[in-house]
This record gives sequence, structure tokens and C-alpha cells, in this order.
Amino acid sequence: MKFFRKYNNQPNFTQQHNRNPISSDLTENIEEIQSIFSETPDLVVRDFVITHSNRQAALVYLSGITDSQTINNHVLKPLLFENGKDNSETDLRVSLGHIKETNKWQQIESAILNGECVLFVEKRTEAFIYFTSSFPKRSIEDSPIESSIHGSHVGFTETGGDNVALIRKQIYNRELKIKEMTVGERGKSKLAILYLADVANHEVLKEIEERIQKVNVDSVINAGVLAEYIEDNPYSPFPQLLLTERPDFAASEILQGRIAIVVDRSPNVIIGPATFDSFFKTIDDYSSRWMVASFIRLMRYFGFLIAIFLPSIYIAIIFFHFEVIPLKLLLSIGESRERVPFPPYIEAFIMEITLEMLREAGVRLPAKIGQTVGIVGGIVIGQAAVEAGIVSNVMVIVVALTAIASFIIPNYEMGSAIRMVRFPMMILASLFGFVGLAIGLMILLAHFIALESLGMPYGSPIAPLRFPDWNDVFIRLPQWSIKKRPLSTSAVQMKKADSHRPKGGEQ
Amino acid sequence: MINKKNQITPMQFILLIHGVQMGVGVLTLPRELAQKAGTDGWIAIIICWFFSTLISLIIIQIMKKYPNGTILDLVTHYFGKWIGRASTIIFALYFAILTHVLFIREALFIQAWILPHTNILILILLLSIPSYLIVRKNISILARYSQFVYFMTLWAILIYLIPMKHAEWLHLLPVLKEGWVPIFTAVKTAILSFVGFEVAFFLYPYLQKKDKASLGIVVANTLSLLMYLMITIGAFAFFSPDEITIYNEPTIIILKVIEFEFIERLEIVFFSFYIFVISTTVLPLMFMTVFCTSQLAGRQDHSRHIAWFLLLECIFAVLFPPTFDNNFLLQKMIDQAGLILAFAFPICLWGYVWLHGLFKRRASK
Repeated sequence: MKFFRKYNNQPNFTQQHNRNPISSDLTENIEEIQSIFSETPDLVVRDFVITHSNRQAALVYLSGITDSQTINNHVLKPLLFENGKDNSETDLRVSLGHIKETNKWQQIESAILNGECVLFVEKRTEAFIYFTSSFPKRSIEDSPIESSIHGSHVGFTETGGDNVALIRKQIYNRELKIKEMTVGERGKSKLAILYLADVANHEVLKEIEERIQKVNVDSVINAGVLAEYIEDNPYSPFPQLLLTERPDFAASEILQGRIAIVVDRSPNVIIGPATFDSFFKTIDDYSSRWMVASFIRLMRYFGFLIAIFLPSIYIAIIFFHFEVIPLKLLLSIGESRERVPFPPYIEAFIMEITLEMLREAGVRLPAKIGQTVGIVGGIVIGQAAVEAGIVSNVMVIVVALTAIASFIIPNYEMGSAIRMVRFPMMILASLFGFVGLAIGLMILLAHFIALESLGMPYGSPIAPLRFPDWNDVFIRLPQWSIKKRPLSTSAVQMKKADSHRPKGGEQ
Repeated sequence: MINKKNQITPMQFILLIHGVQMGVGVLTLPRELAQKAGTDGWIAIIICWFFSTLISLIIIQIMKKYPNGTILDLVTHYFGKWIGRASTIIFALYFAILTHVLFIREALFIQAWILPHTNILILILLLSIPSYLIVRKNISILARYSQFVYFMTLWAILIYLIPMKHAEWLHLLPVLKEGWVPIFTAVKTAILSFVGFEVAFFLYPYLQKKDKASLGIVVANTLSLLMYLMITIGAFAFFSPDEITIYNEPTIIILKVIEFEFIERLEIVFFSFYIFVISTTVLPLMFMTVFCTSQLAGRQDHSRHIAWFLLLECIFAVLFPPTFDNNFLLQKMIDQAGLILAFAFPICLWGYVWLHGLFKRRASK
């Protein structure tokens, strides 16, 4: 807080000399521009005379982020060479669609920084802003993190405008409304809040807007930073807002009544209010047949439980309750643990931390070296550690299972959260056995049922329980049976389909 | 005071009350009934169900007179501020002692069954953490918790059916072998298993659909009845009539016979899970305690009260090391209070409210 107070009290020198409107003297204006953009080698100021009105003019832009083709062909060429018959001075002929007029320095400054070009004309007290921006950007590709089998192979890019367009492409509806905001004193990240006006709950929308307005920072680097600023409970291990790179997923969530926030310069779109179950869904669940989709979804929830509890159950059983396992199994476990000098919790911690480090190493390294890490890790975990008698075979199986189980969860954030939660569980299990596990689960539950996302219950429809919404939670029933939007989005319009299934068998 | 977020659905209302009724009592209930009435003890449960449902309905009738407040507000409304305060203190004390008994019992059971070498104080501290986290929130969170735990522990019923293949159903026959007298003596024991519906006094104003209250409380009592019947009849059929009185907690002993290829000694796993069921008894009662004390202090926020309460529990455990014996002794005391507060008090209050209404109507004429 203190930092911000200090920050705000400082005279904001970039805006100091922007109070006055632009003057009618061209050279004065150009001097002003050059003083604002000092030490800016990519600033281009092109002086010329407009042919049809014979006036001195100057075109100002930043060369790297503007489209030179557009400037040459559609701004400079008409102004320099076209000789109009009617000599009305107001009409500046450029062949561009997006034109603004202004006399405020602040607006001019932000326009230039946004890659637009500004035209000053002698004896005119307003400048013309032409939309010619073309930031360097990459082409639209499939998202590497959320790849899908049947879904569209399109992912969001770093350009906010393109991302909005990608969502618009999915929803052809005039009720798709877009609210623009900016965040960050220096960064000035543009946000676009997308929602369906007749479906989304306006209280939730207001809540989002209020929270974004309260964010007072230098710059928001990407969507993850903004999500952390506006989420409900920062001390929760669970992610409370969905981040996605897939336009089709974002669009389907908007159609459910949720609200999407497109952050310029970030390939992720924030979706809220999120519920726990939405982190276990993929777009493939809807494109494959319902039985397959349900089976896979059940596997995910099962994986969730395994990833959290399996290592701690192992510790609890070996350390406290070896009497619960039958004799034959006990003998084989005992045999594999025979040479291990450590108690089970140290064994488990060694292996789990090794696994986490291997995973993180694999993520950051380039693909070719990443493979080496995989091989080295596989050998270290699989063979050498067991043969050296540091860990037991059963422990290796447990670690491998938890790793696979945590990777089955489609959302990367949720997967990481689960991997983190299992460490406190392991500590509790090593101290109190099954009782510790039960208490750990109870604490997790206490946190889970009270958690909210943008003021909506996070656990819905599990806690608070709502059975009608269970048609798309643990199993996905056939599409024609899902006729209503889930209550957790608090949509104004609940009904989303009224399907009459053709009776195929009667033909 | 009661906003929309702080409300509970009829199903949550049912399961909250059912959760309070189902708790540690079930573990010893078959033995206690068998000691009094032999294998006819299950009939006593049905009689008790009848009485408790009747009183529950009376409670709902009383609360209908003052639908937007708890019993404390109602008493204050009818009898004035001082009696209201006194009743708040009585309720707070009653709930506090009841919570104390059950909370300590929970820890004692854990110590006896799973962790015999762990200090009881550490177990109490361990149990305090989730209790604090849940109770410091409002009633709707508590209701969600009870609801979740109910459905999470429902599979335990299926496990319970497995030992029934060893059951000898002839143990139950002949019905009424010693007449009605032993059954009526058992009623006094069994009725305590149903104590807990009096939380409806406090839950009613938070209920979303007030017209479902009567139905809800009947369903809650019936759910408890079915559980008790299943467990006691199962235990009576499983054990021989003399054997059952030997074991302290026959309900868990039954599970000892279960053996799968992948798991043995299921009762240890089962009991770890049973902590959840006990918590749905203890936590609402704990909430009621701090609800009363925070009303007394005139504050809305009860999170500090719950911290103090748990701290007191720990200090108590240090000063008077809890044992089963003194725990049972304390329970006998609070049982008497429970009978008065849950059974006698609603009847008297209902009578008063009814007469009050009658006189008022006559006066207005």
C-alpha cells in the first residue's frame, strides 16, 4: 500500500506537458512531439505539402509498429499526388476506413504508441489519426498446451484484436457484447470483456469490472497476472479463474453464460466465474461420443484423487497400518523394502521431489535436450535408485502412478495445484496415518466448499449440491438431454436448448 | 441479518439435522439396547422415532409464529429481554457441554481404535484445525459440508451389508419375548440417539422454503430411524444375544469379519472415514454454541468465539486428561438436560404460544 501511495504522489512527468490542446502552428507541434518522444530513433516525422490544398503538413508515426504499405499507398500517395477538383479544406483524402480527429496530446501520444499515424496540418487545431498499426505478430496456430483431437486447430495469439475476432467467429450474435478497459499505468494493457448480454449475469459482470478498476499497477504482463489480481482467494491452492488458449472453449463458456476477458499481449483468455468441474472439461468431451467422454471424465476425477492421496496412502499403510494389507501383498512389499534404509516418508519425499524436478526440467528445456532428461530420469527413477537400495519398487510404482494421474487433468494450473497439495497430505499421513489423511481431506473440503469464484460458489454443483446440473459433471450425458445452462454461472437465461431427438429406430 | 447467500435448501436442512442425530451414539447403540431389552431393542427405536418426530413437528409449529428469527429471538419476543438472555445462556451452555462431550469422545475413539500411542491433546489439536475452518464460516457453508459428507459416506452402507451373510436371523425371534416392559426401559436410552433435532430451532429462519420445513424434519428423523434400525437389527442378527453386550462398540466389530483380496482390517479404514460422520454431529453443535455466545456478546462475527472455544477445549484436555469414564459421566448429565431441552421445553413453549395466541385473539375481539 505504501508503495502505491508513493507511486501516485510522484508527479507523473510523462503527462506533465500534455495539458494544452495542440496549437495551430505546425513547427510548434512537431517540437512538442519530438520532446515527448526524445531518444526514440524509430519515430518518423515526414514533412510534406498536401497537393490539393497546398498546405504544409507532417505525418508522425513509429516505424516498427506501423504498416508501411498502408501508409505509403493509402495515406501519403493520395495526399501527395491527388489533385482534387473541389478545394474544400476539411476534406483530406485518404483511402482508409478508420480515422479519428483529436486535439489532445494525450490521445495523440497513445495513438502513436499504438502504431497509428498522426497527421498535423498547418493552421489546423486538430490532428488526424489514421489506423495503420501493425505490430509484429505470429500466425494463428494450434495451442500446444491444450491440443485436442477433434476440436478446431486454432489457438489464441498475442494480439487482443485477433483474439476477439476468433471468439466472434464462433458466436454470430448481436448479443455478444464487448466492453473495453485498460489496466496498468505504464503498460496500458487493453482488456476486452466479452459476454452475452441476455445470458450473462450483470451482477457478476459488475463485480469483474469493479475488481479490474481497482487494479492499480505499472503493467499487467499477461492474463495470469491479471487473474491473480482479481481472483477471490489468493491463499487457495486451486485456480479460481479459467485460463484457456482455445477460442472454441472460450466461446462455449461464453455461451454457458460465463464472461471472458481478453487481455492484449497475452495468448490466454480469462474465463469466470469458474467452477471446480470446469477444470476437468475439454472441448473433446463434446466432440466425442458421450460414453467415451464420460469414461474419460471419470478417469480424470479418479486421477485427481490418486494424484493427491496415493503417496500419502502408501506412507500411512507402510508406516502405521500395515495390518490392513493382506499377508501376501505385505510379504511382497516387505521384500521390496527389505534393503531400503529410510522410513517410507523420506523415501516418498525423495521420489516425489525428484519427479517434480524432472518435470520442471523437461518443461523449460528445448525439445532435444528434454528427451535426454526424460531418459536420464527414467533410468534414475526406474532402475538405479531401486538397485542401489534407496527406494523400493512399490514406491516407484506409486510415484509413476501419481505422475500419470496428475497429467491426465486437462488444465495445467489445476494439475500443478494437485501436485502441490499432495505434499501436505504426505506430511499429515506420516504423522497420523489414516487419521491424518481424513483430517487433511476435511481441511481440503472445508476450503473447497467455502471457495468462491467472482462471488459464485466454486464447488457447484457438487457443494452446494444440485443434481440437475450433474448431467455434465462427472459424466456427460447425451447432448440432447442437456437443455439448461448450469446454475453456477448464474445465467439470466437458463434454457439453452429445446431439442427433439429423432427416433432413429422407428424407421 | 439473513441475506440470500446465507440460506439453506430443504435438502441441506434435512441432512444437517440428520447429520447431528447420526454420530458417536450409533457405535454403542446396539449394545446399550441389548443390555436393556435384549434383541427386542429395535422396537424401542421405532417408538422413539414416533416421539421425536412429534416433537420436531411441534418445534416447526412454534417457529412458524416467528419465522424470521431463531428461538432466541422468539423467546425474547414473547418473554422480554431478560428471559431471552437467560435462555441464550442456557442454550449456549447446553450446546457447549454437548459439543465438548462429543468432541472429546471423537478424539478418544480415534485414540482407542487407530492411534493408541498418540497423546490425546495432539489429537484434539489436530481435530481443531478443520473444525475451526468450517465453523468460522456461516450456516450455509456448514450445510454444504453436511450435505457433501452425507453423500460421500453413503457407500459405507453397502460395506455394512457384506457381513450380513454371517447373520443369524433367528436371533431376532421371538419378537416381544419378554413383553413390553424391557422395551419401555430401553426407550429412555434410544431416545437420546434422536436428540439433535432441536437444532431446527436455529436452522428454521435460514431455510429457503419454509413450507418444506415440516416435511424436511420428518424426513430427517426417518432417515435417522432407517440407519439406526439397519445397524441395530444387523448387529442383533450378527452377534448372539449374549455376545453383543461384551463389546463396547459392536457396530465396528461387525466389520472385522470383512476381508478382501486387497484389503483386510477394514474397520480401521472405515473408522478413519467415520470421523467425517462424527464431524457432522460435532460441527453444527459447535456452530450453535458460538452462535449463542456471539448473540450474547451482541456480535455478528463468531470466528473469534470459535477460536476461544477450541482453545478452551485444549486447556481443558491438559487440566483434566479425558478418559472414557469421565466422558460418559458428563454425558449422563447432559443427557438429562437434552431430554428437557429437546422434549419438555418445546411442549411447554408450544402450549404457552398457543394460549398466548388464544388470549390475544379473544382480547382483540
